[in-house]
Amino acid sequence: MSECIVITSGKGGVGKTTTTANLGVALARLGKRTVVVDADIGLRNLDVILGLENRIVYDLVHVIEGECRLRQALIRDKRTDNLFLLPAAQTRDKNAVSPEQMKKLVADLKAEFDFVLIDCPAGIEQGFKNSIAGADRAIVVVTPEVSSVRDADRIIGLVEAAELPEPQLIINRFRAKMVKAGDMMNKDDVLEILAIPLIGMVPDSEDIIVSANRGTPAAFDDKSIVGEAYRRMARRITGETDIPFVALEEPDGWWSTMKRWMGLAEVREVAG
Amino acid sequence: MNNFFDRLFGNTRTGSKDDAKARLKVLLVHDQVDLTPSQLDAMRAEILEVIARYAEVDREKVDIRLERAHDQVRLTSSVPVRRVTSRGAVPA
Repeated sequence: MSECIVITSGKGGVGKTTTTANLGVALARLGKRTVVVDADIGLRNLDVILGLENRIVYDLVHVIEGECRLRQALIRDKRTDNLFLLPAAQTRDKNAVSPEQMKKLVADLKAEFDFVLIDCPAGIEQGFKNSIAGADRAIVVVTPEVSSVRDADRIIGLVEAAELPEPQLIINRFRAKMVKAGDMMNKDDVLEILAIPLIGMVPDSEDIIVSANRGTPAAFDDKSIVGEAYRRMARRITGETDIPFVALEEPDGWWSTMKRWMGLAEVREVAG
Repeated sequence: MNNFFDRLFGNTRTGSKDDAKARLKVLLVHDQVDLTPSQLDAMRAEILEVIARYAEVDREKVDIRLERAHDQVRLTSSVPVRRVTSRGAVPA
């Protein structure tokens, strides 16, 4: 049984592309045949986050317009089995694709893969409509800020209006210290407002910037706590239900820093 | 450490997350309702006007607002009444 999940948020810059890349890596590493699809036509970035930008020959629009076969456009990630990228076109715009064409494309991909993850562009226009057209369900990424939560609320309404099942929520860039000081909404605050089920919490971490610089998603790094957050999420997506919801945090202080250098990093769980 | 200095210097600032949450709750209702703040004010005034025909209202303490509860927007009102007037008849 295969499934198409769209990763969306409404607001830009909250981490959709990073989330898509990391969930793709984590699902593939669980042995699931996974393709990540960049639906942000004209502003592609998923290739860069995955470090696959130099291997693009054909893209999604080429496939849809019949200029190449689907398999020719799929880029295999050599760092793990089971992971493929379908890049977006960079020199076209969102109107190059229709929702019907996306539905057909997703159906073709589902025949080949266990999971099809779609990286949805920001906004609620054509790109969003294309992205949700073939999806079986949606995951909404939110950061604990007023503007992001507001846009997430709007997107949840649109997802439900499109008759997809109730979406699930990822709380991204969570800062345990700010939450503790009462300067950031916690898990329960966000869930009280958005009222959809949580599927993961990702701590704000420098790992994400480093991994974007290198084109190596944190989910490849077994020592990264952000990577661990995505790996847990991937297990929840595959149906495991006994993974507790906790915020992960890097312990502070010189001793912990020393331990990290020595490869003895510990992952500490703090209450969300 | 922060807490220590906060206490030392008598900093009693409460966390800004409560502001975020309170603002969001209002914002999301307004996003859904599609009424401008001035239209909402007008609605409040008209509701009060009707009530005032029948009862003497403590206008300072009136609280009429739209709230979101589950999937529904709800108009809630708290209108303290000083006394119900005896001339509470429907105007002809």
